[in-house]
Amino acid sequence: MTTARAPWVLLAPACLAGAFALLPLGYLAVRSLERGLGFAWGVAATEGTALLLGRSLGLAVAVVAASLVLGISLAWLTVRTALPGVRAWSVVATLPLAVPSYVAAFAWLSAVPELAGFTGSAVALTLVSYPYVYLPVAAALRGIDPAQEEASRSLGHGPVRTFLRVTLPQLRPAAAGGGLLVALYALSDFGAVSLMRYDTFTRGIYTSYRASFDRTPAAALSVVLVVMTVALVALETRTRGRRGHSRTGSGTARPAVPVRLGRMTIPALAWCGAIVAAAVVFPLATLGYWLAAGNLAAWDPAGLVNTAGVTLGVAAAGAALTTALALPVGVVAARYRGRTADLLEQAAYAGHALPGITVALSMVFFAVRYANPLYQELPLLVCAYAVLFLPVAVAATRAAVLQSPPVLEDVARSLGRGPLRVLRDVTVPLAAPGVAAGAALTFVVCMKELPATLLLRPTGMDTLATRLWTETGVGSYADAAPYAAALILLAAVPSYLLGKQRT
Amino acid sequence: MRNALTRCVSALAVAALLLPLGTACGVGGEAGLVIYSGRNEGLIKPLLEKLEKSVGTKVEVRYGTSAELSAQLLEEGDKTKADLFLSQDAGALGALAKQGRLEKLPQPTLDKVAGQFRASAGEWVGVSGRVRVLAYNPSQVAKAPDSVRDLVKPEWKGKIGYAPTNASFQAFVTGMRVLDGDEATRNWLKGLKANDIKPYEDNLALLNAVDTGQVSLGLLNHYYWYEKVAEKGADKVTAKLHYLPGGDPGALINVAGVGVLKGSDHSAVAVKAVDFLLSKEAQTYFTDKTKEYPLASGVTSTVPGLPPLESLKAPEIDLGKLDSLQETLAMLREAGMV
Amino acid sequence: MTDLQIKGLTKAYGPDMTVLQGLDLTVPSGSLAAVLGPSGCGKTTLLRIIAGFLRADAGTVTVGGRTLTGPGTHIPPERRRIGIVPQEGALFPHLSVAGNVAFGVTDRAARRRRTEEMLDLVGLAGYGDRMPHELSGGQQQRVALARALAPEPALVLLDEPFNALDSALRAGVRADVRAALRDIGATAVLVTHDQQEALSMADLVAVVRNGRVAQRGHPQDIYNRPADPWVAGFVGDAVLLPGTAVNGTATTALGTVELCEPTDALAEALQGTVLLRPEQLRLTEPGEAVPAGTVTDIRYYGHDALITVTVDDLDTPVDIRIGGHVTLRPGDRTGIRITGQATLHP
Repeated sequence: MTTARAPWVLLAPACLAGAFALLPLGYLAVRSLERGLGFAWGVAATEGTALLLGRSLGLAVAVVAASLVLGISLAWLTVRTALPGVRAWSVVATLPLAVPSYVAAFAWLSAVPELAGFTGSAVALTLVSYPYVYLPVAAALRGIDPAQEEASRSLGHGPVRTFLRVTLPQLRPAAAGGGLLVALYALSDFGAVSLMRYDTFTRGIYTSYRASFDRTPAAALSVVLVVMTVALVALETRTRGRRGHSRTGSGTARPAVPVRLGRMTIPALAWCGAIVAAAVVFPLATLGYWLAAGNLAAWDPAGLVNTAGVTLGVAAAGAALTTALALPVGVVAARYRGRTADLLEQAAYAGHALPGITVALSMVFFAVRYANPLYQELPLLVCAYAVLFLPVAVAATRAAVLQSPPVLEDVARSLGRGPLRVLRDVTVPLAAPGVAAGAALTFVVCMKELPATLLLRPTGMDTLATRLWTETGVGSYADAAPYAAALILLAAVPSYLLGKQRT
Repeated sequence: MRNALTRCVSALAVAALLLPLGTACGVGGEAGLVIYSGRNEGLIKPLLEKLEKSVGTKVEVRYGTSAELSAQLLEEGDKTKADLFLSQDAGALGALAKQGRLEKLPQPTLDKVAGQFRASAGEWVGVSGRVRVLAYNPSQVAKAPDSVRDLVKPEWKGKIGYAPTNASFQAFVTGMRVLDGDEATRNWLKGLKANDIKPYEDNLALLNAVDTGQVSLGLLNHYYWYEKVAEKGADKVTAKLHYLPGGDPGALINVAGVGVLKGSDHSAVAVKAVDFLLSKEAQTYFTDKTKEYPLASGVTSTVPGLPPLESLKAPEIDLGKLDSLQETLAMLREAGMV
Repeated sequence: MTDLQIKGLTKAYGPDMTVLQGLDLTVPSGSLAAVLGPSGCGKTTLLRIIAGFLRADAGTVTVGGRTLTGPGTHIPPERRRIGIVPQEGALFPHLSVAGNVAFGVTDRAARRRRTEEMLDLVGLAGYGDRMPHELSGGQQQRVALARALAPEPALVLLDEPFNALDSALRAGVRADVRAALRDIGATAVLVTHDQQEALSMADLVAVVRNGRVAQRGHPQDIYNRPADPWVAGFVGDAVLLPGTAVNGTATTALGTVELCEPTDALAEALQGTVLLRPEQLRLTEPGEAVPAGTVTDIRYYGHDALITVTVDDLDTPVDIRIGGHVTLRPGDRTGIRITGQATLHP
């Protein structure tokens, strides 16, 4: 496929989104260098940094590996086999998205205190983040022409070899994209690792704020995290390769004949059941226990409903802005591969592994200087969500745009539509289901966001996540439970729709 | 073609994009006294409602953790909307004072609190005190040791619990570094680790562990025990507290405090608010609600069994200097404790 | 009038990837030209440059006197008034048939009428409410044509539009498309690698090789008077015989044949390759003065058949096309006679 230059009407907003996503980096540059390069280098280039970095990477590798195993196996079982209750499983498999990492970690820790540390962190993070792999891989599996697998079978390869040699390589871009999000999630997570008392880089950055009340060392450490993120994104781009372009071919292939599991039915059911029990049922049961232990009379249903409404509102605004910004970036990344597209995508990802506090402080930094009227108002919080979660929406948009053949856009151009109208009339309507899926995903992560919300929310505003934080802060888990339960249940709705969606 | 998700999302998106616009238009209503509170909302909200009435100005409160709020205040600089900063610990206040972000408080206000519980240059003042103590299980320990320095002795092997991520514990270690020096503290921490000290998630879990005999001794803040007693009844709590004598590092008294931000539009009201926090009403609230020590002179705690503040032999440390936690954390990490 | 003029078109994708090297092509207004070439010859690149999806490195594209691509000029695709019919139709899956056809019609008032006209033109009146996936491949292709024609483009580009159709359908759709284009007198360029398609549909064929037009002409001229043996072989089966030409007549192992372009009567005899089509050779009874050979292979196609004969005085066997009735068997002896005119290539 030939590479044309992206039109300005796309490139300009995409660059704007990229620049927006780079704000935290600008802040980090200012802060980490305010006492000179030497100081920053002295903070960052220490044995302790290397140690923390190693631990963070180790955790990310473990979480990504486990997420790939869970995500790909569930995707295959729900898309390609005659597993009993396959539709229900495919929906339930996405529900862990609704569980905040700190709730999962707390549930595990209270049940099995010995898990504290690496194991517990890895378990909790894997169980909340594997849907990032499951969703794109399941979509990719549905898109693969079963004729290829049949050809492989007829050439003498068994089902396992066929999966490994024909199916899996084609799932690689989807799995790599999901894996990247999981890796960045694991790197940036603070909630689970702090509860699990596992010292990671992000926790190092937090304690640096907390311990020295000094932003320079924290900023210098954050820069290291950014460098690591850029390296990971580059690695993923390489894995994805240059073959990112959509299939041509006359529309949908025949649906695959479901694989009959036979004797493997029971183990397969057990596997799905165990994952869902650990990732969804268990945290909910823990919340149920808190609820039962608490004093029902102390409930404040009106407050809960109000807080839930606010949460839905800001999360929806966050998802809307993030998706709007991600759209041009995703389209450019899908349609105009080249150095500009790579840079834009990297820019979108660069800040994604940063802890929420760093992103929030960068928004504070810019807002008080250049947009003071917006400071501690809703628009700024929504902007912070966009910076934090842009990659989630970009990944979804790019994948969705790639699904439709580029020739459709060429035809629309030749029929007299300018680039912007082609985007509106052809690209977006065709990519709509995928873009909506990205928006739903962003909506869920915005709902769960805590550190940036705490710093940037309008004074006096509460989301379910901040209420949860407040209540657990005084150790009243019973009072916290309704908020946690409401958060999970509300976030479960878009997660459910994501799972139900067939792309 | 169009599925449920696409439709839901489109509808929500339209609504959502209108929402921030709507609120952005409402920017800049009458600003009252803005308080940044590092103390938990559940704890302090009723008191701040009383404060609002007392100072006669509308009060707006932002809640967060003390450390993050202090970072935020530093980032906001002189553009901050905050007038008052309520901190969970003295360290965060010390950091702001060091950067010149706090206004010196009037002498009459400062004088309400003993010198050791306020900034030496007068930028902040403590409003409530928490004492480090040793909790012990009397069925396992006849007499708790009189110094934390003794905890590295072999007789306590496997019998001590602590909450390593708790800020008060870390402040106590910092205090020990100021008193005993880094080398001694490092060795002490290594000794604890070698003595198989057991980590707990927080002070509550630690106290429960002492109570049930999982460990014999626990390093914690005094008020957890009094809260538990108030909640369950004295006869239901097995654990006892030991106040360490002789200015032992383990008897550190840390404070939660308050400071007025430089450049506050409401500095007079803010000072009034500080005075309210040091009033008998507020001080009694702290001691009733949180079992902390009142710090304003002339107010005594009504909590049953709480020894008077004057009777305690705390080490003499400038609390403003407890902002060097970075090195403490490095030391804890080195000892394999966090 | 909307003639297409292409001059010196050059395009490279890298230092070693020159795709077009100064291509020239003229298509008169109202005619259907076929650009015929093997895959990789640059014909798709040519089409994308004409449509404006790609920029040329050098050269000009002019339609009806309006320069679309030239030094310092690049009109974006949406302002070129060039319709394209892509491979496999590429209908917008989210729009109905009518929605597809109306997509490019800017005049709202005329939209409905124009859509109906176009559907009528391609023989799909009444299909407007269907969705693309409810149509057969041939119908989809005809909708794609209607969509391209609806905005009254100055030029229509057809990018191997019949590839995906099965052979039974192909002939019918080709005829329909050609008739529709004729009806409205459109200037059109058909890109294809199928010589039958090019010869049967086009008024004008341009054979492209290595980014240049190797030969341009009427389909009959291309077939009967190919510019060189490569073109001859690409547009049909060819019989190549060594021969000597004197005074407009060539002498070969199979006898003498008249040349299309007479050679200079006074010049010496010219050595070269004489190029014939298999249907120019006839089987005769073997005899004394008749060139003869042995039948080695017979390929029977129904309407005709190809007989391979190993000629006594030739190293390579020759193919002879005969009518549908075959009585020979491999191993039979046969005589051979040449008819018509040939070309000579040095």
